[in-house]
Amino acid sequence: MTRQIPIVLLAIAAVVFPLSVHKIFLETGIERQLGTAQKIFYFHVPMAWIMMLFGLVCGIAAGIQLRRQSRRAEAVAIAAGEMVVLAGLGVLITGPIWGHASWGKAWTWDARQVTTGLLWLVFVAYVLVRRYGAAGSDRLAAALAIFGAVDVPVIYYAVKIWKTTHPSNDVVGTLPPEMWAALWPALGALLATAIALVAVRARQEMIEMDVDDAWVRVDELREAAKGAAS
Amino acid sequence: MNSSILGGSQAVAEPPQDDEYEAVEGLDRASIECTRMHEAAAAKKTASDYEHIVWSYGVLWSLFAIYGVMLWRRGARLRGDVETLRTRIDKA
Repeated sequence: MTRQIPIVLLAIAAVVFPLSVHKIFLETGIERQLGTAQKIFYFHVPMAWIMMLFGLVCGIAAGIQLRRQSRRAEAVAIAAGEMVVLAGLGVLITGPIWGHASWGKAWTWDARQVTTGLLWLVFVAYVLVRRYGAAGSDRLAAALAIFGAVDVPVIYYAVKIWKTTHPSNDVVGTLPPEMWAALWPALGALLATAIALVAVRARQEMIEMDVDDAWVRVDELREAAKGAAS
Repeated sequence: MNSSILGGSQAVAEPPQDDEYEAVEGLDRASIECTRMHEAAAAKKTASDYEHIVWSYGVLWSLFAIYGVMLWRRGARLRGDVETLRTRIDKA
């Protein structure tokens, strides 16, 4: 049953995505101050939320992995970490494109941009250490993931603490209903896709761990058989 | 903008000259040209905005697609590993 979850989620995303495009471009009006480019918002903001959500998931799972030596938590942390890199890249590309269209400047070094860039770099480091690190580097990687997760609230509160070009966090809550009606399907499609990919990746990681263990056992059995024969 | 073209604010429309301009009832040439100028600026901005939108949406879904392909390839490699392992166990 759990193996079908990613397929169901991807099917939902395949249905909801065209609906979201329809709502964004045909049913939602053009924002008066930011113009047509504001429609990037409907995918940029959900990607940022997905990045922060999986940043937290990765940090929590890495903490559980360190404390309980849980393989499931380790697999979830690896999958979530990769999703942070993917979603973070999406945010860091679509944000400057939107900035360039609306304000003529792609990057302003504002606090939210910098903290988002920092989060992305931390999780790139996490993925690299997980992939290329020597034996025992999983603990270092887990510490990096926890450090990265701590950056998530910093991104959220950056617009309150520092003066930034990003609007305040309250702006999403004050959106008119027609904008919410377009934002929900976009968020749903992207979130469903992201969860499906994370579930697939986590499952792959667990299978890989089991296969590695099986190889070690096979080698041990072969050595034992050789020893018994001699 | 050339003031001789705009000709200031005129209450009465100028007569048409060749095919370059056709008077519209109730609008003078300056108003029409001014409107056209703003329309052209707005159209240019909208076209530029749509170009940015296509790029950002394209990048986003390309990232997901690339990651999906990477997962699919990893899955295929894993299936190969499991098969090799099964063969080795059968031989042992």
